[in-house]
Amino acid sequence: MTGERQISTMNYGSSTLLGVAAAALLTVLVMVGSRNLENYDSALFGYTVASVVAFGAIVYRYALWLQRPATRIYWKRGWQLYRQRNKFVKNTGSAAKTFFGNIVAQKFIFKRGFNRWLMHFLIAWGCVLSAMVTFPLVFGWVHFELEGDLGYRAYLFGFPLQLMDGRSLQAWVTFHALDFTAVMVIAGCAIAIHRRLHDRGAIALQQFLLDFVPHLLLIAISVSGLMLTASSLWFQGYMYSFISLSHQAIVIMTLFYLPFGKLFHIVQRPASIGVELYQKNSAELTRALCPRCKTDFAGQMWIDDLNKVVSELGFDYTMPDGTKLQDYCPRCKRVMRGLAYSGLANKSDGVFQGARAAAAKD
Amino acid sequence: MKETMFIDPQRCIGCRSCVAACRECSTHKGYSMIHLDYIDRRETTATMPTVCMHCEEPTCALVCPADAIKMSEDGVVMSALKPRCIDCRNCVNACPFGVPKYNSEIHLQMKCDMCFDRTSEGLKPMCASVCPTGAISFGTYEQIVPLRRTKPVKSHVFGNQRVETKVYLMLPTDAEEVSVDGCGVFEGKVAVDAHEDHESWMESQSQEANKANEF
Repeated sequence: MTGERQISTMNYGSSTLLGVAAAALLTVLVMVGSRNLENYDSALFGYTVASVVAFGAIVYRYALWLQRPATRIYWKRGWQLYRQRNKFVKNTGSAAKTFFGNIVAQKFIFKRGFNRWLMHFLIAWGCVLSAMVTFPLVFGWVHFELEGDLGYRAYLFGFPLQLMDGRSLQAWVTFHALDFTAVMVIAGCAIAIHRRLHDRGAIALQQFLLDFVPHLLLIAISVSGLMLTASSLWFQGYMYSFISLSHQAIVIMTLFYLPFGKLFHIVQRPASIGVELYQKNSAELTRALCPRCKTDFAGQMWIDDLNKVVSELGFDYTMPDGTKLQDYCPRCKRVMRGLAYSGLANKSDGVFQGARAAAAKD
Repeated sequence: MKETMFIDPQRCIGCRSCVAACRECSTHKGYSMIHLDYIDRRETTATMPTVCMHCEEPTCALVCPADAIKMSEDGVVMSALKPRCIDCRNCVNACPFGVPKYNSEIHLQMKCDMCFDRTSEGLKPMCASVCPTGAISFGTYEQIVPLRRTKPVKSHVFGNQRVETKVYLMLPTDAEEVSVDGCGVFEGKVAVDAHEDHESWMESQSQEANKANEF
């Protein structure tokens, strides 16, 4: 039944169109960024197709997600508040601070526990840095050319960047960047899996497909990636093409898993910046006072928006005096229910007289 | 899972064993998800224990912009999924029972999930296993109801909205539901100074006094 209320408001057609348009746009950007495929490495064709499809699917899912009544109102209101002229600079500063605290440093996870933070930080930054290296290479936006005996020059969208010595520390770090990020991801996943095997709370709630599969996929990608380095560095390319094909297959599986599994929170999470902006602005505007206890418990704009969402979902919590149940603070809602319960008892009932009173009557 | 919770507020003696025991649950370690409120501290010592009623159509889950609150196959409404919860607190203010709690520091909403870690292993939830008076009981309908003179109902009416739940409330009458249609009074005495009610010593000591449900 929960799904029915939600699905009735969903428009799959527009989301599909947006997804297809996004995939088409990325294809055009690949063409343009690689200078008409001039700098494109055809060996990476499989990765490109998978990335384009996954990108379309992510946009489709995101567009569907934004259609949820609550998400839509937060999205609209968040942008509306951000664009206020008199607060634009302040809002930008606040959003930047939230971005650094929540997304870059992930402080809120640190407060859940150091091990959880370390685990998430290693996996998140391992994946993000890997993506920042691999996607531009796959799309032909970045490529390297040999200049002279040892010189390497990187090109971004066909524009030359600085020349580097192929034997320098900078070159070593650049060419092994994915090895470092692979180690970060493996370490993070190891901590996560250890927790999932030992924490009673996690054991009770976890599901294989949601909670283990992403870690297993990330470990498989990282290990096979490291095997590619090992094969070329120390084993004269032994089994290189097989490892390369396996690596590609696992990466493609992960890309397709991205829009529909746990990893979707990577694209969903930045919405918390908008939510925080909304909450901060709401806190500065008119406050909602609970009609019963007069406590200031939330922003009025927030409660008004919430009431809109609740009625859009088909609920009608209107009380006889015209207030909505959601206007009351959580504690008063509990107390009101308690008072309603206590009013039900008929005090003349035998159950309230006790055994002695009942015996005396007899 | 055929078992569910049976809440009988008239049996509650306000001992707060459930509140303490709830903190031991592995899925929300250290934080109690039970609310125990005095319904009118001036007039009565009566307390109202509130656990999640696990609505059949949970308003909290539907107003969640991140789609973070899921229902198990057994109809248990779970705490927000940690990776998804974006700390918007819509659920906290939308819940008709005033149940979900939140903590902005860790960006997380939490609520009673019927001790999923215990019930999934055939154990009783922490609160039900320690309640000395049976105000909170856990079992099947067939096990609990024949032992009581009170009537189990799973329907509440808040204003114009009927809410059906998985958890039963035991009523002292033949009424079919509990109707909440206003601020409420205790035994005819209007709680005119509801906002002037002092927090009880117990509430302030146990950090339960936050009316916005922050833990």
